[in-house]
Amino acid sequence: MVGRYDIELYNNKVHYHLNIKRNITILRGDSASGKSELIRLLGNYNANPESSGITLISEKSCSVLTEENWKLFIESYEERIFFIDEGNTFLATKEFAEAVRGANHYFVIVSRERLPQLPYSIEEIYGLREGDNAGKYRNATHIYNEMYKLYSNHLGQVNVPDVVITEDSNSGYDFFREVYPDKCITAEGKSNVQNKIIGADGEQILAIVDGAAFGPEMQACMELINTSPKTISLYAPESFEYLILKSGLLNMPKDILEETWNYADSAKYCSWEEYYTNELCERTRNSVGQYSKKHLNGYYITKGSIDKISKCFPWT
Amino acid sequence: MVNIIFGDYKGDNYISNPDMYFDNTYQDEWLESSLAKEIVKDIDKSELEGPNLVVSPVLGSIPVTRISGGAKTIIQIAFDDNHIYNASACGDNCAKWLLNIGQDKDIVVRMGHIMHFPEESFEIKIVNTGDIVHTQYELVEKVIAERLLD
Repeated sequence: MVGRYDIELYNNKVHYHLNIKRNITILRGDSASGKSELIRLLGNYNANPESSGITLISEKSCSVLTEENWKLFIESYEERIFFIDEGNTFLATKEFAEAVRGANHYFVIVSRERLPQLPYSIEEIYGLREGDNAGKYRNATHIYNEMYKLYSNHLGQVNVPDVVITEDSNSGYDFFREVYPDKCITAEGKSNVQNKIIGADGEQILAIVDGAAFGPEMQACMELINTSPKTISLYAPESFEYLILKSGLLNMPKDILEETWNYADSAKYCSWEEYYTNELCERTRNSVGQYSKKHLNGYYITKGSIDKISKCFPWT
Repeated sequence: MVNIIFGDYKGDNYISNPDMYFDNTYQDEWLESSLAKEIVKDIDKSELEGPNLVVSPVLGSIPVTRISGGAKTIIQIAFDDNHIYNASACGDNCAKWLLNIGQDKDIVVRMGHIMHFPEESFEIKIVNTGDIVHTQYELVEKVIAERLLD
């Protein structure tokens, strides 16, 4: 499934507006912000669409997954947007993670749990709040709720880091080792980044991670950044491959990077990180810049290439 | 004191879905207490009038089963000592209530995420390791270093 979808769901009291553009979207945040009410409203709508008094405006059908129906619905339907409330124990199972991988659906999950088996993006972790358009809908009995991003892909200010930690141990690490000689270490995986930050020998730390699949680590990482006595900056572009595609080293159609939701098919790619890697490998095949994720082609660490890729960094 | 089990917990007394559990097991007398009224007022910005009525500024008059999952979880932790509740059903706006209730009695909860406790100092026991932490950074560092959420 590809595409970006506006969803409006409302009754006479509350009005939800969601914009969904990847296979996995996470809703979390404070209690009483309306997350479970959203799921309840959708469940009631689906139980009786005509007579519920609830209106759903969505190009794709939307359904609520429960402990009882989730396997059947995922297997039986095509191109649906599934909503899942917190408290469902199947969310944490490998079986569910395998069902999401390759599913021709999008999933909106209400949960504060880490869910490490799901490769969700930091860009798709949202809270709900009364929206800026509240005036449009709000009167004494009508509240307008919209999504807001909980995290940005660039946090903190470390201009001259003592230590640079990369999530990647392969090509991304090879590149940043050239940019930050003698300062760069690899965490060898996203689940080790926080421990590397805690153990790093330095006060100014820059961590570079693949934002497209770093979602499960983000909540703990933010708590660490906000409370640590060290100065920690986090840079989370979609992926290292995304930086190369964006850098101008290749002749890339703009839409692929700016409207990736129209290209990264959820049935083929579990995260946009996988899509960008495939795109880079295909576009450089049999060329001087042939890309391999395991070992960085020397083409990408020439001065010209480093300069171009480095211009994508938000601090340059 | 607040005792937290991080990560998986499979005990027979564990309630993974406190929202649903509340709907089917809550006691009327819990909802007549001033503590429950304060919890609902603070977290949901709603008036708990009694066991049969909540007045919400958004939803109007609603049954108590429509209050937030966070408020339900905190009320159960306050009044039911026989179960261990999943406190990941609670947002950060519930954190102060865990600490408040933990001042009067020992409570044990389970978390699958790191809640942000707003107080500068507190006493929380991490059940997995037996450590008592006193600041949010100590809590975060311990959970990460011991890989309690892996």
